[in-house]
Amino acid sequence: MKTLPHVLAALTAAVAAALVSQTANAAVLPDYQTQSSWFTAGADAVAAKVAQARNTGSTKNVILFVGDGMGVSTLTAARIYQGQAAGHTGEENRLSFETFPYSALSKTYSVNQQTPDSAPTMTAMVTGVKTEDGMLSVSSDSIRGNCLSSKGNELKTALELAEDLGKSTGIISTARLTHATPAATYAHTPERNWEADSNMTTEAINNGCHDIAYQLVMDAPGNGLEVALGGGRSYFLPNTVTDGEGATGRRADGNDLTAAWTENYSNAAYVWNQEQFDAVDTTTTDHLLGLFQSSHMQYEADRADDVGGEPSLAEMTSKAIDLLAKNDQGYFLMVEGGRIDHAHHAGNASRALQDTVALSDAVKAAMDKVDLSDTLIIVTADHSHTFTIAGYPARGNPILGLVHAPEDTTIAQDPTLANDGLPYTTLGYANGPGAKNGARADLSAVDTTDVEFLQQAQVPLSSETHAAEDVAIYATGPGAYLFQGSVEQNVIFHVMNQAAALGGTKY
Amino acid sequence: MTLSPAHTWRNLATLFKAGALFGLFSANAFAAVAAKADSPICPAATLNGSQHFGVQYQLSGAQHGTLQLLRRQAQTAYFNPGNGVGEWWNFSVAEHPSFIRVFAKQQRRIDYYMGDLRTLNIHVSQPEIESFAAAHLRSQLRHKGAGSCADSQVYEGDYQQVHYRLLWSDSLQLPLQLTTEHKGQIKQWQASKIMPAREVDMLLSRWQQFADTDYADIGDNETDPFLAQMINQGFIEHSEHAVYNSNGQPMSGQHIH
Repeated sequence: MKTLPHVLAALTAAVAAALVSQTANAAVLPDYQTQSSWFTAGADAVAAKVAQARNTGSTKNVILFVGDGMGVSTLTAARIYQGQAAGHTGEENRLSFETFPYSALSKTYSVNQQTPDSAPTMTAMVTGVKTEDGMLSVSSDSIRGNCLSSKGNELKTALELAEDLGKSTGIISTARLTHATPAATYAHTPERNWEADSNMTTEAINNGCHDIAYQLVMDAPGNGLEVALGGGRSYFLPNTVTDGEGATGRRADGNDLTAAWTENYSNAAYVWNQEQFDAVDTTTTDHLLGLFQSSHMQYEADRADDVGGEPSLAEMTSKAIDLLAKNDQGYFLMVEGGRIDHAHHAGNASRALQDTVALSDAVKAAMDKVDLSDTLIIVTADHSHTFTIAGYPARGNPILGLVHAPEDTTIAQDPTLANDGLPYTTLGYANGPGAKNGARADLSAVDTTDVEFLQQAQVPLSSETHAAEDVAIYATGPGAYLFQGSVEQNVIFHVMNQAAALGGTKY
Repeated sequence: MTLSPAHTWRNLATLFKAGALFGLFSANAFAAVAAKADSPICPAATLNGSQHFGVQYQLSGAQHGTLQLLRRQAQTAYFNPGNGVGEWWNFSVAEHPSFIRVFAKQQRRIDYYMGDLRTLNIHVSQPEIESFAAAHLRSQLRHKGAGSCADSQVYEGDYQQVHYRLLWSDSLQLPLQLTTEHKGQIKQWQASKIMPAREVDMLLSRWQQFADTDYADIGDNETDPFLAQMINQGFIEHSEHAVYNSNGQPMSGQHIH
């Protein structure tokens, strides 16, 4: 209580200072400075911040967007890519969620690794507890790949807490629904690769661990998830079944979990292609399972060429919200752009950026649907990649192109040359398949903006790796103000828990 | 899909870095070894038009080795029994072929989906894969008449500075014998065994049981020793599309020599 007058005084002073800042600046700064569009835009941004009221109330709904592998450099490059695709220079563009009022940096290390994988990072986000690599929503007291050790170490997730409160829940991913990020919301396992029973060890089966796909359908919390849309169909089908796109199931236990979904729930639907997805009536459907690929869904760049047709991440998000919003108690929805990570692993920046833009579009679709007075939206990443934006390219230089320096008011026609006499791209990787043993390739006659182009890399690895630097968190809606500064990744759970009163902890 | 013979050759070369198919068509490092005089085995008439069989090829010359071509309808696989490495294509959906790399000694598979193949810039032609990469070549050579086997034809000629002599089976739509000569160096592939359908099924069924990993997931499995080896020590996809390490040796298997 003693600090209150001081805080109030400070706030009052800040507001007053901001309100008069332009006037004050006008008195001490020259007109060419204060009338600069940069200056006025910056001043407007601060004024908007000052005028913004914190929404400290409870939120009914929570939507957590995760861009797998979507580090800060990916966001920067994607915003430029999107802006240039719209005919602009690009740098000034903003992805949909970059307009959110609150942000923070998230420290992603896991209990045992400086650079994590998606399993412990998503576990941290949805349980509030960091764990070891490869484990999903079990504590680090477990031993990876050992079922027995995980018994009694299961960590309750935000999705499960939401179910307990009678909220509706959903997961969406362009990766397999059994992949680490979506799986951490509903499954508990000491081995992320136990996606189907055929992937499990004898020890795991004998000690009663269930595979991840089985947990999604048969061990679901509460009254079961209302929405599950993504890839991974083969993990839900018996190995005697060939699906509609010619792929074989991989379950050895004979369970058809797609059939179980429709049998277990009332008003349930299972769809596997765009046409079926489009035909789903959310007013009459209460449990929707969509599995659009035997494994991961297509990259956004390839989606139009899919055999059966796939909905976009934005389309899935929009339909999911329509269905989930029928519940007056609210909902918890997790949406993952799962293939940003895969494109980076392949050293293929173009596909990574296109999938990042697709995630931005999905966030935009959500913003168009929800009421931000009762919905907390969080956008973050689980980890970063060794992706860099380098050189001194001119403003508006194609982000996927070779570095061309500014030249007067234009862009130099000839590319900038490195010490080896060769041009280089703005985007690159510290390691990965784009590296070569020996001399670097001459890119002078190469179309580096082609979607198939693999950026050059320094260290030759067959698969580009994750990186350990912090990732960004963007938030809007009730409780979003709690994201400030640099936080541990597991704080994300606690903000959701606080804002939505999930009951995991009292603050 | 791009029909590019160069890509096809390079793709087939994933089985051997320094020998076999890669060497056959690069034709620049062969020892001057005369072709074997043995006649190729002739397919039985019952195989005419069959899409379910295998052919074992024997390579003679500077590189010695064995390569099996397995065919089961829209599926074609190339397998090197020496190092246990295979490549398995499925053209059931012709515009979206699936591709699997087989590592028999480790009993592991890497599965590639459409997006994976595109990110790796792997474009193949179904006719080239199914013809031992000889479909386009045959069209470049002169027809010399009937061959020594029933339903076989002889073609000969020069293509890209290499002299070819091809004994082509009309019934299998595959070479029975393929001899190359470049700067006096001779190399020969010869069908040495026709593999029955049951043998093909046995191999493919066995591979189907191997532990599989999506190519896209390799990067998330650095703790798996087999995959870590791929990530850190070889499996250079981008520049050469090859299952070999940076020293040019086939990964985790004996060399073809």
